[in-house]
Amino acid sequence: MTEIKLDCMYEACPIPLLKAIKKLEKMDIGDVLILETDHSCSIKNVVEWAKKQGHNVDYMEVGEGEWEIYIEKRK
Amino acid sequence: MKFYEKIIKKPWPYWVGGILLGVLNIILLALTGKAWKITTGFLYWGLSFLELLGFNCLDWYYFSVYSNQLRKGETFIHNYYTILNLAVIVGALVAVLWASEFKFKKIKNRRQLFFGLLGGIIMGYGTRLSFGCNIGAYFSAIPSFSLHGWVFAIFMFIGAFIGTKILFKYLL
Amino acid sequence: MSSNRIEELKKRRQREIRVNKKKNQKFYAFIMSIISIIIFIFLLQNNKIYSIFWVIGLLIGITLQRSRFCFAASFRDPIMVGSTSILKAIIIAFIIATIGFGIIQYDSIDSSGVIDIDRLPGQISPVGIHTAIGAILFGIGMVIAGGCASGTLMRIGEGFLLQIVVLIGFIIGTVLGAYNFEFWDKLIIKKSPTIYIPKYIGLPTAVILQIIFLTVLYFIADWYDKKNNLMSS
Repeated sequence: MTEIKLDCMYEACPIPLLKAIKKLEKMDIGDVLILETDHSCSIKNVVEWAKKQGHNVDYMEVGEGEWEIYIEKRK
Repeated sequence: MKFYEKIIKKPWPYWVGGILLGVLNIILLALTGKAWKITTGFLYWGLSFLELLGFNCLDWYYFSVYSNQLRKGETFIHNYYTILNLAVIVGALVAVLWASEFKFKKIKNRRQLFFGLLGGIIMGYGTRLSFGCNIGAYFSAIPSFSLHGWVFAIFMFIGAFIGTKILFKYLL
Repeated sequence: MSSNRIEELKKRRQREIRVNKKKNQKFYAFIMSIISIIIFIFLLQNNKIYSIFWVIGLLIGITLQRSRFCFAASFRDPIMVGSTSILKAIIIAFIIATIGFGIIQYDSIDSSGVIDIDRLPGQISPVGIHTAIGAILFGIGMVIAGGCASGTLMRIGEGFLLQIVVLIGFIIGTVLGAYNFEFWDKLIIKKSPTIYIPKYIGLPTAVILQIIFLTVLYFIADWYDKKNNLMSS
C-alpha cells in the first residue's frame, strides 16, 4: 500500500500515458501512482484510460498548468 | 462559480469538440467560401522569410499549377491563412489563460527536440504531396466528397502505425 | 471514480499547496480578450472577410484547447491503447460537416446540373499515389512530433516551446515540398484524376451514402473501443 511518484513534467503526448501504463504493471494492487504532469491532455487521456481499466482515478491541479493524477491500482 | 468550473476549468468531452469543429467548419465555408486549411499558411511564412533573404519564390513551378498562385492583393504574410492560424493560437491562449493554466513548458531534452523537428519536417513535406494536412486533406476534404480525403485517412493510419513503432523504440 | 484513499492524498496535497499560493491568470486573460476584440474591430473596418476568419479561428482555437482535441491522438490512440473516443468525435464532426458542406455545394451547382469542380466550394484535389505517400509521411511525423498542424498551433498557445520547434520543422518541410513539387507533379500528380464522388452518383445520393458509411464507422469504432486494449492488458 505505497505511493509511487512518476515525474512526467515536460513530456509530450502520449509519453505520460505510456509511462503510467508501464509503471502500473509493476505495482501491486492497492498501490497509488501519483503522476506529475504539465501536459493538458494527460488529465483527459490518462484519466480516461485508467477508468476504462477499472482503476480508481482522480486528478488535482497543483499549480498553473500543473496537475497530479492519482491512480489506485485495482487489478 | 459552478459555470466557471464546468465550462472554463474542466475539459469538455471530445464529442462536444467534434460537434463544434464540424459546425465551425460549415460556418467558415458558408461565409467565406473557404474550408478550414492550415499548412499552406506555413509554406507562405517560410517563403516570406526566403523573400527577405532575396530569393524570388513566386516563379517556382509550384505556383504555376493547381491554382496554387496567390490571389489578388495577397502576399506571403498578408493572406487569410495567416489570420486563421494566428487566431487559432490566440484562441487557445485566451482559453488557457481564463482557466489559469498557462505555463511555459520547456523542451525536456535533445531527443525531444530532434524528434519534434524531424516530425515537423516530415509532416510538412507530406502536406505538399497530399494537398494539405489532416485538416485540409482530411477534415475538410471528406465532407467535400473528394476521394483524396478518404485515401489520405487510410494511409495516415498506416503512417501513424509506423510512427507508433518508432515512438516505442526511440522515445519511450 | 475516486476512492477514499485518493481523496485523502488529495487533501494532504491541498494543504501543502495552500502554503505557496497559486497565482491567478485572469488579468492576462482579460487583456488578451480585449486585444482579440480590438484586432477584430480593426479587421472589420479594413477587410470584412478577414474579420470572419479571425473570429472563426479564435473559436476553433478555444474549442481545440478546451476539449483537448487532438487529431494525432485520434489515429494514434486506437493503435496504441485501443481507445477511440477522439476518433468517434471526429466521425460526429464529419457527419455534421457532410450535411453542411453538401447543402453549400448543392447551392453552388447551377440549375443546369453541370458540375464544375474548379468552382465548387470545399477541398477537392487530385487523388493518387502522391496522396498515399504524403499521408504516410504525415502520419509518421505527427506521432513522433506529438501533434499535427492544428495541435501544434493550439499547443503554442498553451505555452509549449517544443511546438515552436515543430512549427519551424513544419515550415522547412512545406518549403522543401513546394520546391520539389515539379518532380512529384511530373512523376505522379499530373496523371492523377480529381475524383469528386457526387459527379458519378449525384450529390443527394453522395450525402446519404456518406452519412450511412460514417455511421457504420462510428459503431465499429465504438465496438473496438469496448472490446479492445491492444498493447496494454
